[in-house]
Amino acid sequence: MLTFRLAFRNLFRNTRRTFLTALLISSSLVVLILVDGLMVGMTNVMVGGITHTLEGEAQVVRKGFRNNFEVEYTIDDPTSVISQLEENKAVEGFGPRVIIGGMIASSYNTTGSLVYGVDAKQELKVSRISDAVVEGQYLSGESREILIGKPMAELLEVDLGDRLIITAATVDTNEITQELFRLSGIFEFGPEEMDKNLVFINLEKAQSVLGMEGNLHQIALRFIDPEDAKNPELPLFKQLTNEENEALGWLDLQPSIGAMIEMSGYSTAIVGAILFLLTSLGVINSMFMSIYERIYEFGVAKAIGTTPWQIIQLVLFEALLLALISCVFGLAIGYFLGDYFSIHGIPIGKMEVSGVLLDGNLYTRLALYQFVNFPVYVTLLTLAAAIYPATFASRIVPTEALQRAL
Amino acid sequence: MLTFHIAFRNILRQKRRSLLTGLSMTGGYVLFVFGYSLLEGSYGNIIDIFTLDSTGHIQIHKDDYLDRPKIYKTIQDREQIKAALADNPEIKSFTPRVFSPALAYAGDRTAPSRIIGIDPELEPTVSRLLQKVAKGTYFSTSPNPDGYYEAMIGQGLHIRLKLNVGDELVLISSGADGSIANDIFVVSAIIGNKTSFDRMAVYLPLNAAQEFLSLGNDVHEYVLLVNDKDDNEAIASGLSAQLTEVTVSPWQEVEATFYRTMQADKQGNYFSMGLITFIVFIGVLNTVLMSVLERTREFGVLRAIGSRPLQLVRLITLETFILASISVILGFLLILPIIYWSAEVGMLLPEPIDMGGIEFQHLRGEMSARIFWIPMTFILATAVLVSIPPGLRAARILPKEAMGSH
Amino acid sequence: MFRLLLLLSLTWSAIASEERARQVIDEMEQLYRGDSSDATMTMQVQTPNYNRTLTMTSQSFGKDYGFFRIQAPKKDRGIATLKRDEEMWNYFPKINKVIKVPPSMMMGSWMGSDFTNDDLVKETQLIDAYSLALIETEDQYKVTLTPKEQTVTVWDRIEYTISKDPLLPLSQAFFDEDGEKIRELTFHEPKEYNGKLMPSILEMRPLNKEGHLTRIMYDDIRFNVPEITKDTFSLRNLKSRF
Repeated sequence: MLTFRLAFRNLFRNTRRTFLTALLISSSLVVLILVDGLMVGMTNVMVGGITHTLEGEAQVVRKGFRNNFEVEYTIDDPTSVISQLEENKAVEGFGPRVIIGGMIASSYNTTGSLVYGVDAKQELKVSRISDAVVEGQYLSGESREILIGKPMAELLEVDLGDRLIITAATVDTNEITQELFRLSGIFEFGPEEMDKNLVFINLEKAQSVLGMEGNLHQIALRFIDPEDAKNPELPLFKQLTNEENEALGWLDLQPSIGAMIEMSGYSTAIVGAILFLLTSLGVINSMFMSIYERIYEFGVAKAIGTTPWQIIQLVLFEALLLALISCVFGLAIGYFLGDYFSIHGIPIGKMEVSGVLLDGNLYTRLALYQFVNFPVYVTLLTLAAAIYPATFASRIVPTEALQRAL
Repeated sequence: MLTFHIAFRNILRQKRRSLLTGLSMTGGYVLFVFGYSLLEGSYGNIIDIFTLDSTGHIQIHKDDYLDRPKIYKTIQDREQIKAALADNPEIKSFTPRVFSPALAYAGDRTAPSRIIGIDPELEPTVSRLLQKVAKGTYFSTSPNPDGYYEAMIGQGLHIRLKLNVGDELVLISSGADGSIANDIFVVSAIIGNKTSFDRMAVYLPLNAAQEFLSLGNDVHEYVLLVNDKDDNEAIASGLSAQLTEVTVSPWQEVEATFYRTMQADKQGNYFSMGLITFIVFIGVLNTVLMSVLERTREFGVLRAIGSRPLQLVRLITLETFILASISVILGFLLILPIIYWSAEVGMLLPEPIDMGGIEFQHLRGEMSARIFWIPMTFILATAVLVSIPPGLRAARILPKEAMGSH
Repeated sequence: MFRLLLLLSLTWSAIASEERARQVIDEMEQLYRGDSSDATMTMQVQTPNYNRTLTMTSQSFGKDYGFFRIQAPKKDRGIATLKRDEEMWNYFPKINKVIKVPPSMMMGSWMGSDFTNDDLVKETQLIDAYSLALIETEDQYKVTLTPKEQTVTVWDRIEYTISKDPLLPLSQAFFDEDGEKIRELTFHEPKEYNGKLMPSILEMRPLNKEGHLTRIMYDDIRFNVPEITKDTFSLRNLKSRF
């Protein structure tokens, strides 16, 4: 292919310039990959933090419960909901829960708390309560077990095995009820809000103490495919939402996270736009320089009958080749750096975002689209940037060009 | 200076080359400034939202009230503090507050709430409370015609207790003297929205709250706004040294978690910014280097006719500097109105983002000296530095080689 | 305070024979409470931040019914507490409202003192809820109460010390699970009230908080008051002036 050989030779006539331009293009690619990887990594941590720590990827609740957190708002017909969840193939696991506000007292002190009654085994598939336990044991179904956060344990001045009393109002008769527990585990989720206020006991115990046998306030879900949670049209959601209940994915449950992710998306887009503009300028500059250098040649070429279109092709082909070479380097470096950062992370210190603790390092996440789409964008960009120079070259008037000496 | 004259003329002689190189630097500058402005601006924006909502720039408390609030930890010598604050030219405005947890009753519904006693006239000079009135009217210090003091409640209480403007609200709490505080108030307004931090708050006129809680003339907190918010930590230290009986805390301490998160987020963004800087650097490198290198022949001629090496280097550097300066100034003129607009108006986001009850829908940039001169310095320095090595090389090369290089 | 009186009566039990213990408790109850009681007293609350003195009247019927009403200071005059079984209500004359004590207030202090609402409510379960062990010395009985498996309490054990002659309580100490004494109730200055001898001053001292003390001084107490019946303890009466 003549054009190919010509283009190749032209590029390497001025290796230095080609190198510099390639450096610019491949740097853009690397930066894109890294910035995107950073954003994706951070988003994943945030989302994973929210959905896998406690809230679940989706929830089934009674309509109105999320507004008021009032204890009367229990899920309608829980047995039917549970059997539907059990049958549904998309659901990896679900955790039935009772949630109620109550006072917790030790011999030293009293404080308010939000009490979660959970099924120890089922929670393992949905949340990370068990991972958060730093002293003692996770729940095992024994009726007097209780887990509290480290700051609360310090406030109440209790150690493992000590007595704790929870005082609350029963759901059915609104009478005061108290129950004795023995501290079986201390947890640290990270976010202060959780560690200072949450208390976990066994579901059955909670139901019996609160006079709500068989009733639930919330069922948290995890899907086999996390993308399902983001899909508002998911059949399961439609199935479980009726007049009484609603089934929602985390995007609806935590709209602020969705907003933040959008913001991140904007940031990446803005960074991308800036990068592209800078790169385009560099490519245009470089191509023009290259054309000027060869203006005499172009003049000759046109004089002997090369059509403008052929010249455009040639220049564009040069640009394409340049882009491809750059992409190869860019991908290699991008992969190497992205991989490095995905293991070692970028140190940022402690950060709490919407109740999720990011500690230490931010890890990049590599994804296929970064290595397929981005090079394509960059190549297209390079080609687009080369259009103006190419058109210019095609319009060179031979007589003027041949006059140029320097 | 002859060199200057020559440099200038050289630039104008090679219009196209100068234009491309210059344009590349202008583009780099514009994008750098824009990105920088957005970066700093978004944080500045968020900090403003926070601090102007209720936190203020600096807070004053007694002892460790901030960490462990107890009703009896009050600021007593108010005259001394008021005088000190009023005298201080760096302080824009200040207002006192009192707090107490309380049980709120309406009909037979009850909910835990937080009493915030405010000075109705001074409070709007420090926070946005006045704008947060969703329904009803902002209250005053005097009781209403029926003899009841008025209260403004958060949306959470409005929903939980089904309280509307004009309804009666009963508050029960512990007084600072150990008595049981109990009284009736009339709702004059509903504040904020469902996610506001004060959704379960009851705002009372300061004197009413002090009477209710048996606080006499004492308060729990002074909130200050300063004129130069970047200076607030220094101002806080100054106040702390001056007012030894109380604890002075800048907002960075008051909202430590948020501050840490913001710092960490900034780190992540600085990383992205660093990458952009790198690209700008490569871009400038690319164009300046190329344009100097491709004039090697020209320099050879100059050497042949007697220019000394050092003169040549000076000339080249000067040319680059002049060109860079023009580019940067041009860029400055271009981007100035845009930055101004983005700082005053901001970019409209498609969806408003809700942060703790405050909705903001604009992405704002920062307008300040540093976002202009830091990129300026960077580009000028890079351009000049990049032009030196090839300049030196050109200066040392033998005329014979140089002229044959084309 | 009838709960205290009941606690007093609990001191009478022995590891060797809980039978005897229960018998004696019954006797004590009759002695100290009768079927009903009517008392006036002064309560002093001392904390590092404030000192308060209240005068109150109190009535009781059996173990399950009780009234308290504040007479002074003027600001708090008329504030009253009604206890029925395990439920409690407070009445606030200034706002003319009866409030049922919610769970969040149960573990909180009663009227700002070092006694909790819970203390007032937790009564009759105590005999069934605790195992009793008695140690006798020359002139004192020391009874240790340990909660049974299912008992809902924060205390690991309670120790009562009673003088043998006269048969009067001296102190009650509340311990946590590390064996630390967390609070102590002491009895002083026995006096005769309408023929019965009982300590006229009770002091509750929390040991984990410095400078806190609640002192109750009985001005007068009558037993087996005929006007007081179960029906006296109604919500309507809670609201009425006296």
